[in-house]
Amino acid sequence: MIVVSGDIQPDAKARVTRLGALAFIRKPVIKEEVFEVLSRYGIVRDEGISATTVTEIQTPIDALDCYKEMANIAMGQAADLLARVLGVFVVLPVPNVNLLDGGELQMAISQIAEKESVSAVSQGFVGGGIAGEALLLFHDSDFEQIAHLLHYEGEVDDAMERELIMEVANILIGACVKGLTEQLDVSFSQGHPVILGQHLDVANLVGKESRSWSKALAIEISYSIENFDIRFDLLLLITEDSLAAIDRKLAYMWE
Amino acid sequence: MEASKIDISELHWLMDMVQNIDVGLVVIDRQYRISVWNSFMQNHSGRTAKSVQGRTLFEIFPEVPVEWFRHKVDSVFLLKSKAFTTWEQRPYLYSFKSYRPITGTEEFMYQNVTLNLSGRPAARSITSVSFFTM
Repeated sequence: MIVVSGDIQPDAKARVTRLGALAFIRKPVIKEEVFEVLSRYGIVRDEGISATTVTEIQTPIDALDCYKEMANIAMGQAADLLARVLGVFVVLPVPNVNLLDGGELQMAISQIAEKESVSAVSQGFVGGGIAGEALLLFHDSDFEQIAHLLHYEGEVDDAMERELIMEVANILIGACVKGLTEQLDVSFSQGHPVILGQHLDVANLVGKESRSWSKALAIEISYSIENFDIRFDLLLLITEDSLAAIDRKLAYMWE
Repeated sequence: MEASKIDISELHWLMDMVQNIDVGLVVIDRQYRISVWNSFMQNHSGRTAKSVQGRTLFEIFPEVPVEWFRHKVDSVFLLKSKAFTTWEQRPYLYSFKSYRPITGTEEFMYQNVTLNLSGRPAARSITSVSFFTM
């Protein structure tokens, strides 16, 4: 078995190798690396690499699938950074990617919260015709563990929670936005992170009156940290009028 | 400091900071033509520095009220002092999205603007520095 994955944490490769994988190809894939691995195991022969064996598969590619692949690779890079900074293994599911309207986004957020109270922080980014924001949700019951993870000591009160929220937001949003800029080959200006609230009832997080947009691309990732009972839910929300710029960038990058 | 003493790497470093500061920086000449356009302006307007170079501010931002802005700029050249506009007086000079386009309650980015005369007397230019709220 040969594993192709966007999860590039140092430990991810070691784990699949232990489970019996022959080789590990990291995404985004490099053509030469794929051929090297495939020929190493006799799946293709060196001299066989020609236009006849490499048939470009021409199937109409769904735009959402492209965004999903972009998100998958970017989030894999983010998890790698996170794992290195925190010295942990990050459990990384494939991101959920959807075009949502305001009501659907509110529903998605309510599902994440699971009737628990949450704290939320948001940070905007803009550049290259792409505008969006990263919305990070914390489950209020997780803060004791988060403090432990980040080696904070003392009582976890509101002030400490704000400190932890900003610390995690800086690492996680920073890593994700970096992953995204690398995937899209753009640079972003980032606003200051804004704490939308602590111990929130999420029902009103996306205010009805504030919706000057109709649809947004929502990339939803749920990070959990191995051996800790912590889950961070990150939503990368990208405005609908940014999609044309993203499509152009992806077409250029993946040609 | 003598020109020859200016370390090139130091200059690059300074330029890098100007590029990356979270404030819009635009330099225009007496004819309102743009000569400097930092990353903030590139990222928020979606236009590269190259594409705006030498064009007038009014071409790039048709939303800027011509007479009003000319009056501000002319008085800066005449009085050799700074001019300010605040978001309460005029919510924005450039029409940019709010920094939080999804959960933000503002439809656009509120802006404070400082017009500042700079450069050598022979080649005066106006720096329009916009400090943005929210």
